[in-house]
Amino acid sequence: MSLVETPLMKSLARYLDVTAYRQGVVAANIANIDTPGYRTNDINFKQELDKALQAPDAPVTPSPQQVPGLLERPDGNNVNLDREGLLLAQTQLHFATGVALLRSELKRISMAIQEDKA
Amino acid sequence: MNLFGMMEISASALGAERIRAEVVTSNLANAESTRTSEGGPYQRREVVFAAQRPSFALSLASAGPAARDAASTGVRVREVVNDPAPALVKYEPSHPDANADGYVAYPNVNPVSEMADLMGAARAYEMNVSAITAAKQMIQQSIEILK
Repeated sequence: MSLVETPLMKSLARYLDVTAYRQGVVAANIANIDTPGYRTNDINFKQELDKALQAPDAPVTPSPQQVPGLLERPDGNNVNLDREGLLLAQTQLHFATGVALLRSELKRISMAIQEDKA
Repeated sequence: MNLFGMMEISASALGAERIRAEVVTSNLANAESTRTSEGGPYQRREVVFAAQRPSFALSLASAGPAARDAASTGVRVREVVNDPAPALVKYEPSHPDANADGYVAYPNVNPVSEMADLMGAARAYEMNVSAITAAKQMIQQSIEILK
């Protein structure tokens, strides 16, 4: 472990990676809201985060899966605008939380460095 | 997939929804056109959307096992098809395009359903703009870490 990189920072970086990936999946669902036959995709957030945390140096490679139990329209598309809109806002806030935590962690380290100057 | 890839996906949807809106407005504009260069009344057109693989640059950026992930799909207009529904006939003997019995073939365009379709396209466009705004804010927040 290096002096300025704490385990928490590493975990937060992985958290941000998985959150950003999920946001991309949601964007794809919204983009395909009128594509006949398109099925809603999503990732299992907890599972993918666990996977990312267990292999801290491997690239984040979540596997999106079709979401079951959604109402299908006659054209075979099952994208629900409410679900995606909510998820978009939710994921954005998750990301903001991760960024805020990461910044506070960096500030703490910076404080420790500056301590002798006080 | 990175955040810029997310913007690219939403941008593809903006383009597709814009084309859809254009086709709908062209249907509305020609709701009364009884003559076309192909002969006969104007025929209602419809767009067909298809999921699209991400661009080459995007695939390259996420090279490795993630490159083939199924979720990173934008959207494109695959084709614009003619609606095969029959023309609406009205009895107007004085019309220059009336047939021998005095009936005129009008386009198979229903303005009400076209307006509904136009609203659908506008709403979908708005939703994708929200997604782009979200991506922009997330990128901005990432930059904040550097400060």
